[in-house]
Amino acid sequence: GQEFQFGPCRVEGVALQELWEAFRAMKDIVQAKDNITSVRLLRKEVLQNVSDTESCYLLRALLKFYLNTVFKNYLDKAADSRIRKSFSTLANNFFVIASKLQPSQEKEMFSISESARRRFLLFQRAFKQLDIQAAQTKAFGEVDILLTWMERFYQ
Amino acid sequence: AVLCISGGLPKPTNITFLSINMRNILQWSPPEGLQGAEVTYTVQYFIYGQKKWLNKSECRNINRTCCDLSVETSDYEHQYYAKVRAIWETNCSKWAETGRFYPFLETQIGPPGIALTTDEKSISIVLMAPEKWKRNPEDSSLSMQQIYSNLKYNVSVYNTKSNRTWSQCVTNHTLVLGWLEPDTLYCVHVVSFVPGPPRLAQPSEKHCVRTLKDQTSALKV
Repeated sequence: GQEFQFGPCRVEGVALQELWEAFRAMKDIVQAKDNITSVRLLRKEVLQNVSDTESCYLLRALLKFYLNTVFKNYLDKAADSRIRKSFSTLANNFFVIASKLQPSQEKEMFSISESARRRFLLFQRAFKQLDIQAAQTKAFGEVDILLTWMERFYQ
Repeated sequence: AVLCISGGLPKPTNITFLSINMRNILQWSPPEGLQGAEVTYTVQYFIYGQKKWLNKSECRNINRTCCDLSVETSDYEHQYYAKVRAIWETNCSKWAETGRFYPFLETQIGPPGIALTTDEKSISIVLMAPEKWKRNPEDSSLSMQQIYSNLKYNVSVYNTKSNRTWSQCVTNHTLVLGWLEPDTLYCVHVVSFVPGPPRLAQPSEKHCVRTLKDQTSALKV
């Protein structure tokens, strides 16, 4: 079957098509709620030219942030039933992927993990400059950017 | 800018991007009840994550209900919004705005070029990947394959004698259909597609070719 290969990190058992369909079902609803169009969290500097090895570190940081900060409590505040099914599909799959990403913690990987951390901080800083609910809505609306980047590692 | 009473007109409707091979055309319908009136339109666009709405000078006070924004939206990794308003005499509508448009995910992939050659029992198909839209014909070409490395083709073959159709999905650009019937007309059409989010597809025209007569039976006569 198909799998993700983020450098040394391999993730099986995730049907990317399901994630796309989940996002597509709520894209217009969520993106229409994002009124701060002058801010893009997942800017090119965050995701462009990421090496395979670095991708595992970066994705793990991003998915953990989505799970712990973006998705958490989101459903309570934005209780739109049309989003609920898509939301749980994305959240469950993000959890599965994140749990399977085990990047190496060895010393010689420090510069790569540090580069991934700097990219993640660009995203996190932009997120924290916004009101939490606006930031959650924006990050949720940018899942298509994240999936597009992840798709490049799908084989 | 035109001075007009904003909101004096209903907004244009059905505003969307029609995108094929990254040629991105904004299109809309006239405001309700104003079909046929001497209405003109003005378009602006916005790059998600940047600060200002930008004018499209060739689409200011135009009569037509479409505007080519291919140049302005050519960086397909960016996301965009566009908006249009109607003007009639001293009245103008509020802006009608698109949703967030992401060319990389939403452009339709046009059909490939197709070349067929045949002998008695087989047809060779050569596919040429569609090209990304380019501003000037002399500009260098960029194949959609270079943008979408996972571009695939769904080849459908129809045997006009047996009325049978079969399809197969290929990634490379050459394909030989074997075990065919001699002296039979076969028709082929091909659809390009990219795994990922569902997107509209542009089927190719139908290309038909007749397999050669069976030479061995011709010799026996």
